[in-house]
Amino acid sequence: MHEAIVIGAGLSGLMGALALAEAGLRPLVLAKGHGATHWASGTIDLWGKDERSPRDALRSIVTARPEHPYALIGVDAVADALARFRAVTEAARYPYVGGMDHSVLLPTAAGALRPVALLPITMAAGDVRAGGEMVIAGFHELRDFYPPLAAANLAAQGIAARGVYLQLPPVPRVRDFGPRTLAQLFDDPAFRKQIGRQLRQQRGSATRIGLPAVLGVRDPLGVVADLQLLSGAQVFEIPTLPPSVPGIRLFNVLRAAIERSGGRLQIGSEVIRAEGVGHILTTLCSEAAAREQQHRVRRVLLATGGIAGGGIRTNDAGLVRETALDLPVRMDVNHAGWFAPRFLDPGGHAIYAAGVAADDRLRPLGVDGWPVYENVAVAGATLAGADTLRERSRTGVAIATGWAAGRMLAAYGCDATRSY
Amino acid sequence: MGVMPHDHIELSLEQSLDHCIKCNICTAACPVSAVTDLFPGPKYVGPQAQRFRHERQPAPDESVDYCSGCRVCNEVCPTGVKIAELNARARARLVAERGIPLRNRLISRSEVLGRLGAGPQAPLANLALGFGPLRLALERVLGIARAAPLPKFSRYTFRSWFRRRSAPMANSGPRRQVVYFHGCATNYYEPWVGRAAVAVLEHNGCEVIIAPQRCCGLPLLSNGDFAAARRAHEANVAYLAPYALRGVPIIGTSTSCTLTLKEEAPELLGMRSAMVRTVAEQTFDIFEYLRMMYECGELRADFRPIERTLPYHPPCQLRAHRIGRPALDILELVPGLRLVESHADCCGIAGTYGLKREKYQIGMDVGAPLFETIRRSGSDLAVCDSETCRWQITHGAGVAARHPIEILAKAYGLVI
Repeated sequence: MHEAIVIGAGLSGLMGALALAEAGLRPLVLAKGHGATHWASGTIDLWGKDERSPRDALRSIVTARPEHPYALIGVDAVADALARFRAVTEAARYPYVGGMDHSVLLPTAAGALRPVALLPITMAAGDVRAGGEMVIAGFHELRDFYPPLAAANLAAQGIAARGVYLQLPPVPRVRDFGPRTLAQLFDDPAFRKQIGRQLRQQRGSATRIGLPAVLGVRDPLGVVADLQLLSGAQVFEIPTLPPSVPGIRLFNVLRAAIERSGGRLQIGSEVIRAEGVGHILTTLCSEAAAREQQHRVRRVLLATGGIAGGGIRTNDAGLVRETALDLPVRMDVNHAGWFAPRFLDPGGHAIYAAGVAADDRLRPLGVDGWPVYENVAVAGATLAGADTLRERSRTGVAIATGWAAGRMLAAYGCDATRSY
Repeated sequence: MGVMPHDHIELSLEQSLDHCIKCNICTAACPVSAVTDLFPGPKYVGPQAQRFRHERQPAPDESVDYCSGCRVCNEVCPTGVKIAELNARARARLVAERGIPLRNRLISRSEVLGRLGAGPQAPLANLALGFGPLRLALERVLGIARAAPLPKFSRYTFRSWFRRRSAPMANSGPRRQVVYFHGCATNYYEPWVGRAAVAVLEHNGCEVIIAPQRCCGLPLLSNGDFAAARRAHEANVAYLAPYALRGVPIIGTSTSCTLTLKEEAPELLGMRSAMVRTVAEQTFDIFEYLRMMYECGELRADFRPIERTLPYHPPCQLRAHRIGRPALDILELVPGLRLVESHADCCGIAGTYGLKREKYQIGMDVGAPLFETIRRSGSDLAVCDSETCRWQITHGAGVAARHPIEILAKAYGLVI
């Protein structure tokens, strides 16, 4: 019998597992595969839909949109999650900076600007508002990262930037320079010494240098420090296409913290169904070789993602379902309303707001408005009530609701409402 | 194309291609493409190259031969693409077109090798295989890496020990029957693993049956010899089905043998009879079975404390069962004992992969992070469920490696 099982190993699942582990409940994380961490940029985005600070935006959401995930848990719970997140990453020598008071504008690999609330310190010097001419540097070998394009787009927005290509020092590898291969090379001090020297030659009058986010897996702070020393400029990372090296670091940091507190991860095990008695979920079944694996469990945190992560699925008839526990999904727009005249319509797609409705303890609600299960909490993109993609709040909602759900589940069964 | 089955599995593999969203998570996790350019990564060789593989056309890509079959790609894929199966079948197609090199024919026949070497002649065979000039000749002539870790033959086989031992004292009450699938490694190289398994199972009230059995066929599958693998699996199903149909579980200590019985053979060979399915459904890794006993309150807990902290490597073939870490779940019940999981993707040996001259160094490079982790632990003993991984760990990290069942037998104070 498990005290707690978390379904999903994205940011919300990992933060929830951390809360459960730190409460002494030795959670097991079941996940179909790696996912959201490895796909995303590694920044925490609280709010970016308009110019308001995250704190102001969240405060107004709490009163104006009571079904929004932020409103379900409240602003204090968001602040609580950020604080814990910062402490954990800092302890792992991968500190994040920022907070709720204002968003930082970071350049993307295409030279667009992205509002971010919390960012790894390796990206901090990229804050475009901080001023200072930029050099964007890359490698021909790293496909999908074009320094001249990024620099031109930044310049068009009034940010002094210049794109340069670096020479890849002779390395044993000649093929496949994905982000991971480059990050492994940067883990080697001799390699970054050669890059640092090139940066010094190329930087000209620039005071800061943006590089693809491949500056080492093991010790990114050490890599950035070395490159800054050698180049004489500030160095910052720009997120790449997946797989995301900052995301992999974050996954490693959170996994280590969960395991240190007694939790465990089981990747490659998709939860395909659940069994319950009345309003108590009792058993989870995960896919395995030859037969299902059954897990008897006291508390469950559902954090499988939304339509992108595989927690929500739909078919060509427009039927929308939740994949792990078969919970009812709230979808406000019917199938006919899913189509917009423009590709990538600025209004977004209705499916991104589809999800599982929840109460203020993040328990999943049925169509009758009552909790389906008392011992289940839902977190992250599986929750209904917000198009976090358009709001640019996806990772913020993930860590805030993940942490809050883990804390509330940990308290489940310890209070007077215990019903079994 | 006699060996390539056209079946529901081929269909499901084709369909799984469409689930690939090209996110490269598998490429980032692949331990082989991390260390060599010869393997461009699971995404390229699996779902991408598969689009160009057609029955009447030559294989588009030979690099699939550098896939070690560790299945890490399947483990991490967020969308459920069956990359490892795609690669295994692509390799079989390559083999069907070009034939199997003598070397691969030889090293994939672990039963034949075992019968040749194990027994009273073992010291002589071991002496020969430890003889540098002979290993050099084997490398030159056959392509078996001269430094690769070959296990030592045992002077007695597990089966001969089991036949000759005095029958255990009958406990009172009915005993549950279990079939022990020892596999080639336990029979010919490490009979003590089987002795520990029998001791632990009997200690927990099981009557252990040693049914006739053949090599599970995994080395044949991973060398692309599907025809021989099919014969092996058909024989095993015939031997084991009478037990499985009666609900007698088939329990193994080799995570690769049990995975093959459960899934690899039926899936890769497209075998789907009711008997094949029943054998698969009744097959258990030994710690998976002990964990079930524990969950039902039927596992004895008379452990003696073992005050040790040991590095533990869950082999790829265990992770491919998708059952978590059953050895950790059980061994953490032993007072004082602490196992620290390695988090290394693979030890690099991947069955017979790391024995091959052209792949030996790749295997060692793949295993380097694991060896480093074990060396840094300061322990002179590592724990791992799979035999070839243990031999590779000893070779690469220079420490003894034991099956977790040996540790559990010790905790029970059993003489084996």
